[in-house]
Amino acid sequence: MNYVMHLVVMINIYIVLTTSSNLLVGMTNLLSLGQAAFYGLGAYFVVLGLVVLHLPFLPTLLLAMLLNAGFGLLLALPSIRLKGDYFVFATLGFQLITYTILYNWVSLTRGPYGVPGIPAPKLLGVLEISGLVQYCILSLVLAFLVILVFNRLIKSPFGRVLKGIREDELSVLSLGRNVTMYKIEVFVITCAFITISGFLYATYVTYIDPTSFTLDESIFILSALLIGGTGNLKGPIVGAVFVVLLPEVIRFLGLPEGIAANLRQIIYGFFLLVLMYFRPQGIAGNYQVK
Amino acid sequence: MMNEDILQIQDLSKAYSRQVVNIDGVETNERYNIIFDLDLDIPQNTITALIGGNGAGKTTLFNIISGITEADSGSIMYCTKNQNSWISLLNQPPHRMKKIGIGRLFQDNHIFLQMSVLENMMIADSNEWGEMPFVSLFNRKKNREIEQFRMKKAKDTFELLFGRDNPFWQKRDDLASTLSYGQQRLLGLARLLMGKYRLVLLDEPTSGVNPMLANTICSVIKKMVDEEGITVFLIEHNMKIVEEIADYCSFMSHGKITAFGYPRDVIGDETVRKTYLGM
Repeated sequence: MNYVMHLVVMINIYIVLTTSSNLLVGMTNLLSLGQAAFYGLGAYFVVLGLVVLHLPFLPTLLLAMLLNAGFGLLLALPSIRLKGDYFVFATLGFQLITYTILYNWVSLTRGPYGVPGIPAPKLLGVLEISGLVQYCILSLVLAFLVILVFNRLIKSPFGRVLKGIREDELSVLSLGRNVTMYKIEVFVITCAFITISGFLYATYVTYIDPTSFTLDESIFILSALLIGGTGNLKGPIVGAVFVVLLPEVIRFLGLPEGIAANLRQIIYGFFLLVLMYFRPQGIAGNYQVK
Repeated sequence: MMNEDILQIQDLSKAYSRQVVNIDGVETNERYNIIFDLDLDIPQNTITALIGGNGAGKTTLFNIISGITEADSGSIMYCTKNQNSWISLLNQPPHRMKKIGIGRLFQDNHIFLQMSVLENMMIADSNEWGEMPFVSLFNRKKNREIEQFRMKKAKDTFELLFGRDNPFWQKRDDLASTLSYGQQRLLGLARLLMGKYRLVLLDEPTSGVNPMLANTICSVIKKMVDEEGITVFLIEHNMKIVEEIADYCSFMSHGKITAFGYPRDVIGDETVRKTYLGM
């Protein structure tokens, strides 16, 4: 049972990551390779709130979301006007810089030694969320809230403008909407909500170090999104479930660990290839990322 | 400034640089004037046609007026509300054009094919309420009311243009990609009536459309002027349509307006007939 609950927590962490990223990638057509950087920054900001400032659960989460949104804004302002591949490279650059800083600024982040003993969050300052059952519930609640928020955003007039930008920027401009402003808003919202994954991860694992937030992780998040599909809410959820459960399925095949790890990468790669060829919009998505 | 104008363009110029490689492989930058010292006034509440050969600079002129392309020099003055209120259109960002009342129909359809017919109309509404993330999250009641209002406005617009039992309202939930090319063109025109435009720039509204739909497009354009008080400035290659619907006609050649007047006079001009119509 513990094993299942652990999987549920991990699935929920990735649901928050993919659902948030979907607004950027699937709704606004902004392909980003910097998602793990914001996931990591979110986790470190949570450490700042819980360990350094000794704040309760909700203020910690809100502070971390605010700080991550601020970093998102700092990246978005100079890079959002870049088109296509140039924007991808800007986010890649941010990912690499963030990882390098997190890894090498030892006095601030403890670098490769990581931050151990992250305390469990306290609900209303009293109720400590420490057991697996409580974590499972907390992650379910947070993932559900994130899905709810993004469901409203996607189905609102705001979401309609994003769909317009995804399809035809020039047309949206001629209809009087400031496309750059919308893109900045989307980037900032995505960064803010990715923090929730960082929060869940940091407090669940109780230890973070920069190697959990590498470029590989960014590619992994993007792959989850592309495999599941973009442009709706089903796709990111399917993608998150798929990438978390696939290694577990392989585990049951009884293959040696060395082979299983490589096989997992091969299967991800194979799935991406097959999907791009036969179903470019992903398993459950309704939009093909250009 | 003439009282009846909505747009006054003076000494407008736009040049592009292009790289030329000569026979010895030497690269040089050559300036190519696409618009050169262009003067043109567009009278209010009229249809003014812009005719001219391919590459004459017509679409570039539209792009400059609508803020998509920057001009090198000259001035474009736009009359906002009354004749005492003029603003320069140069260096205005394209998204501001709608706010000052300038709309655009592009040469390619540029409608949202993966959105429903109704969504295409609703996204064009002049009221942008609910399009900010926080507003869309928290003001659900008001959002619903405004969405209902947008739907009604779309329905009324379709009925005004195409009558009560029009196919657009019947197909409102279908993707715009399911409409024929001509219907997509009409949807693009109908969308312009969702905004509060005073001047619309129509780039070849009837191109690639069968004669019956072209007639419908013409009647929609006339309704825009007669019933909505909009000024129409349109690029058109079909001289029959120009003669039928335009109040004025301007002929553009090599980046300049070389003839302006009543359509019959301009089309009958000897230079226009020789250089453009091939007669």
